Order: sequence, then structure tokens, then C-alpha cells
Amino acid sequence: MALLQIAEPGLSPQPHQRRLAVGIDLGTTNSLVAAVRSGLSETLPDEQGSVILPSAVRYHEGFVEVGAAAKAAAASDPFNTIVSVKRLMGRGIADVKQLGEQLPYRFVEGESHMPFISTVQGPKSPVEVSADILKVLRQRAEATLGGELVGAVITVPAYFDDAQRQATKDAARLAGLNVLRLLNEPTAAAVAYGLDQSAEGLIAIYDLGGGTFDISILRLTGGVFEVLATGGDSALGGDDFDHALAQWIIEQAGLPGDLSPSAQRQLLQVACAAKEALSSAPRVPIAYGDWAGEVSRDTFDALIEPMLARSLKACRRAVRDAGIEVDEVSAVVMVGGSTRVPRVRQAVGALFGREPLIDIDPDQVVAVGAAVQADLLAGNAREGGELLLLDVIPLSLGLETMGGLMEKVIPRNTTIPVARAQDFTTYKDGQAAMMIHVLQGERELVSDCRSLARFELRGIPPMVAGAAKIRVTFQVDADGLLSVSARELASGVQASIEVKPSYGLTDGEIARMLKDSFAFANVDKDARQLREYQVDAERLVEAVRAALQADGERLLDPEEREVIELQVNELHALARGNDGAAIDQQTKRLSQLTDAFAARRMNSTVKAALAGRNLDDIED
Amino acid sequence: MGTLCHYALFDLKPAFRLDLEQLAVRYRELARGVHPDRFADAPEREQRQALEQSAALNEAYQTLKSAPRRARYLLAISGHEVPQEITVQDPVFLLQQMQWREELEELQENADIDGIVPFKKRLKAAQASLEDDFAGCWDNPAEHEQAERLMRRMQFLDKLGQEVRQLEERLDD
Repeated sequence: MALLQIAEPGLSPQPHQRRLAVGIDLGTTNSLVAAVRSGLSETLPDEQGSVILPSAVRYHEGFVEVGAAAKAAAASDPFNTIVSVKRLMGRGIADVKQLGEQLPYRFVEGESHMPFISTVQGPKSPVEVSADILKVLRQRAEATLGGELVGAVITVPAYFDDAQRQATKDAARLAGLNVLRLLNEPTAAAVAYGLDQSAEGLIAIYDLGGGTFDISILRLTGGVFEVLATGGDSALGGDDFDHALAQWIIEQAGLPGDLSPSAQRQLLQVACAAKEALSSAPRVPIAYGDWAGEVSRDTFDALIEPMLARSLKACRRAVRDAGIEVDEVSAVVMVGGSTRVPRVRQAVGALFGREPLIDIDPDQVVAVGAAVQADLLAGNAREGGELLLLDVIPLSLGLETMGGLMEKVIPRNTTIPVARAQDFTTYKDGQAAMMIHVLQGERELVSDCRSLARFELRGIPPMVAGAAKIRVTFQVDADGLLSVSARELASGVQASIEVKPSYGLTDGEIARMLKDSFAFANVDKDARQLREYQVDAERLVEAVRAALQADGERLLDPEEREVIELQVNELHALARGNDGAAIDQQTKRLSQLTDAFAARRMNSTVKAALAGRNLDDIED
Repeated sequence: MGTLCHYALFDLKPAFRLDLEQLAVRYRELARGVHPDRFADAPEREQRQALEQSAALNEAYQTLKSAPRRARYLLAISGHEVPQEITVQDPVFLLQQMQWREELEELQENADIDGIVPFKKRLKAAQASLEDDFAGCWDNPAEHEQAERLMRRMQFLDKLGQEVRQLEERLDD
């Protein structure tokens, strides 16, 4: 009798039988798929020999067109042709309205908070549009590799928040892909370079794509890729260069600002073509409509200077966050099509004091690195030792506490996976429920951070204020996805949610939040101080009123009671205003005024206890 | 593994003096063994365990890597859990704190980027000297109060270091 051989999961039963897995770079402008074949990671071409799939989807009645043909139709059929859909991933309708001026689509509200784009095939969510791109790449991979895929590693900008990551994962699932891991794009690029050059030391990855910018600082040691800090601006990319140049053309040509969707698309295409030509020529001719002119590289460089400066500032911050000095960086890697712009290369080279590496095609390097990790995760052991990727969270995670303040539970640049618990207590006697509000961002006030989710912990057994101990645990997994659970420690009451928000941070919001957290550090401090005074005051008002009701008649004479009541009401009124100093002063005054009353209450309790009677008996 | 003491996780005896290079090497070895990437294809239960163990390892590493966090942890496991918020009597250091702060404010008011470099150097020296003092007394029960005081001073300087970074950020325009 033959025994069946059962292989352990993750281990291939026969050494020569590879488990097929791919790396996919789902980009704003272009998408690619790569796989490890004969020990080499390479991007997979389509039937025409092209490895790049433009991230454009055109909906026809009855079928879907993805890639170059769809991109070409962007100007003639703007409503049914979706480009740069990555900018909409994990966003809510309100966020999209902010982007609205630049987007020619007709948005409709769907069942969820997600914005749907109205097409001839009906409403399409950004997740579905992304899934249509992924389906084409999956089919290409299966045809090229000759078999079904075990899974895929999908790359995301390091600066993507929880909602954007979740949306990406959903899109992959929708495309029938088993997601082995969401991998940060700069980390994927580091893998491609690190393995190629068996590098050691500190490296900086400058990744400027079509719509997003990431900077990551990594330490490479014996196959371990440890991200020390990451930063970026998820509203900065080559698209913005196109818009700046398009705006310049409008001014030069004396055109009206409000172009039709079709004309706008056309103009952007002209601008994009000119931008690309300027990478190899010092000046290029431009023709748009009746207008013809010329743009020089100097003019273009001046147009992009403010955006470039923003990216360099993010670089310096990442270096500081990593706790290193700029001159310790031993290699700078350029990733993303926008790093083809000569001025970008020059400025990054000047900042780090060394020539940036461009050996691997900046459009392909992310997919190549992702394929290496996919191969590993699928259980195909690599020769020459395993690599290990240790990544971080890009934005701090926290909770709303009393007075609308954000309490950070996991600071940005913390290595994942991470689990961290924070204990909170009840504010009122007998409080039975607690609202837990999960936030992401760097600012101190809740209103300046992005709300990820709210959930309620119910059934806390009645206890006096401050006696209940509620432990909230944040867990971020290796994909950078967050889950939160809460538990009351004495009773064991538990509430837990997967933080799956209906929308994410807007590009501008994330960038602004980080920027603001520094610029407004002082303003925040004052605001925080005021909230603290208000919270203290409200607490005291509540406590004194409760004490008055319980023991006011028994332990105070009418005159004393009147004075205290007057001062309580005064504090209550002040606490609603914005005069922190006055609130603080009045809090102290009332506290002093009620000291004697509090002492009498304490004494009376002690006496009662000594006499073996309880307070109720004394009341008689 | 999740319940092991941070030191035991790294197969170390509790001590304040640590070879951080060696700690990093050991961390990378351990991370290799428990990281979820190694269990991407394993049953869900194993994936969950890998997640928990990795998180515990990362937490232990973050704690041991930072001098003030390591000092607080050492005091806690030797039976002197130190509450976060209470301010202790330390009039000598209070005066120094005020001086540090005043200097930092001056740097900010004058937008003195060059002045930050020597400030950081002095901060580093002060931190090193505190660490020396703490290493010499934390395990002596008779000096426990002094150890706690030193730990709080370390925490203050650590926070000051963060504020310097924020100042650098604000001046970087």
C-alpha cells in the first residue's frame, strides 16, 4: 500500500516544482507584473512585448478595455475612461469632491461611502476599476508562466494609510488574486537593488511616481532589510508636474481656465509629452489648439521647483526620524518614472552628496523586488540565504481622549507587526459604555487627525468613576493593516472591530497633517492646555455638584452652600469659554473653597465606619 | 514567548549596560524565525502566532534599544514600577531643566540653525553621563531612589531630544 506524501504547507513536495507567485506594481500611471524565473526576477511582457500596462480602464457596453488603447481614448471618451484611479483608492465622497476640479468623472453615491464613477456599464468603484487592471496582469502572468498563481505580492506607497491599503487588498481579492503580502514600494525597490548588488549599509529610496511620493531610509545587513524611517507626500507626483505645465500653457496661450473634460485631458497629454521630451532635450516645441510655442528645461524646472522642494524636505525629515546624518547614507536609489526628470536627479544627488543609482529601470524596479518576495512567500526558498523585510507604519495611530485630544498609541516609524495596549478609565460614576474613536495622524487635536473608525464598548459593570480599567489594544499586521480590540479588565467585557473604514485620508490631508504637526506645534500646545483646563474644570463641577446633593444639607450651613453653588455655576460657565487662565484660576478657587467641605465629608465617613454604621443610618 | 521577560527573549541577564550592536544582531536572528513572512502559507493559527510573537519581539527590542525605556523597564522588573505621571522632588535637576528649555527657546526665537549642532552635542554628553550614573546604581536597593531620579532625568532629556528634532523641522524651510 502506498502512503500519500503530504507536504507541509509552504514546502514544495518536489524541489523542481515551483509554486507560481508574482509581484504586482499597481501604479497611478502604469502597472507591471513580475516573476522569478530560473532564479532571476523579471517583468513579464504582453503579447506585443510590452511590459508596461498603462493604468487606464475604458468601459464599453459589454466589455472592458485596459491599457494603452484605453489611455488613448481618455480625451475622446472621458466619462467612461478612468485613469489615475489609484488617487481615489480608500477615499470617501467628500475627499473626492476636494479633488473634483481635476477629475472629469461623474460620481454617484453607492451603498457604501465609497465614490462610484458612473459609466456605460453602470457605477464603478475605484476598487473595481483597480481590480480590472489587476485581472489583466493576472491573466498575463498565468499565460506566460503556464499555470495558476499561488498568490501575489501587491505593492503600495509606503505612505498609504489603512483605508488605502485595505482598498488595494480588496481590489486584489476582487481580481481573484490571493494576496500574500502588501509590500511598500520603496522597500520592494530596495530588495531589487540589495540583491543585485549585495549591498550593506544605509540606503535611501527616493520614489517619485505618477501620483505619490515616498522616501524610505533602510539599513541592509546580511539579507535583512530594516526600514528605519519612511515619509512622503501622497499628493505629489508626475501628474502634478503635468498640471503645472498645463497651467503654464493655459497662461501662455491665453486660454480660459475652465476647459471641458475632453479638452482638459488633451491638454494634460500635451503637457505630459512635453515633460517627457524635456528629459532628453533642452527645449521642445509645444502645440495646443491654435497656439504653438516652445518650453525650455529651465522654465519647466522653475515650474516644478516648489514640488521638488517639498519632496526634499520630506527626505530631510526621514533622515532625522531615522536618527542618522545625511552623509551616513551610502547609496541613493531612484524609483518611479518622475525621477527621469534631470532636475529631480540633480537635486536628490546634491542633497545626499552622491550620484543616485539608476541602474535598474525606475519603472520596473518595484515589480522586480515584489516578485522576489512573492517567490519567497510562496515557499520557494532562495539560494544564498533568505531575505527578511522589516517595515514600519508611516503615520501615528491613536485614540480620542477627553476633551478632543489625540493620544498616540503607536508612533509613526514603529516596526511592524506591532501590538500595543493602552489603559483608559471611566469618567462618570456608573458609566456603562465607552466610545472608542480610532485616529491616524500627527496632530494633537482630534479634529486635525483623520478618523479611521469608531466603536462602542458596552456593558461595563457599574463602578465609581475611575475604577473601571479599559484596555484598548492596537495591532498592526505585516501588511500594515490595523485591528483594534477593547476589554474592561475587571469584568472581561470585550469589544473588537476590524478597522475597515469607508474612506481614507485625502492625499493633501496626510501631507498637511504631518507638515502642520510641526508648524502648529505651538498652537497645538496652547489648544491642548485649554482643553486640559476645561476637562479639569468640568470634572470638579461634576464632583462638587454630586457632593452638594449628597451631603450639602447635612454638612454645610445655608450660607456656605450658597457661596459654593455660586462658584460652581461660575466655573461651569467659564469652562465653556476659551479663557484658559480664567478657567484655571476659578478651578483653583473652587477647589480651595470646597477643601473644608471635602474634609468634613471624609470625617463623617470615617466616623460612620468607626461606629460600625453606614452613612444611610446617619442620614436619619 | 509572549510572556517572557524582554531580556529572557534575547537570552540576556537583566543589565543596563548592553551591547546595542549585538542586540541588533540577535534581534535580526530572532525576527527571521518568527516573522509572519515565514508563515505566509501556514495554517491561520500559526500565522496568528507568528504575528503575536513578532509583535512581542519588536516591543522587547524597542524597549531594550532605548536607554530611558530600558531603565524604566529594569526598575519595573526589579519591583519598582514607576508611575508615568508623578513628578518627583529633584530641585537640582529642575534648575537644569529650565536652563535647557530656555536655551532651546532662544534657538527657536533666533532661528539659530547652526546653534542646534553644539546643543545636540551637549545633550548627547549629558545623556551619556546620566546613563553611566544609572548603570552604577540601579541594582543597589539602597540607591533605588537615586536610580528612579536618574531614570526620570533620562526621560526628560529624551523628550528634549524629540523637541530639538521638531525645532529642526520648523527651521527647515
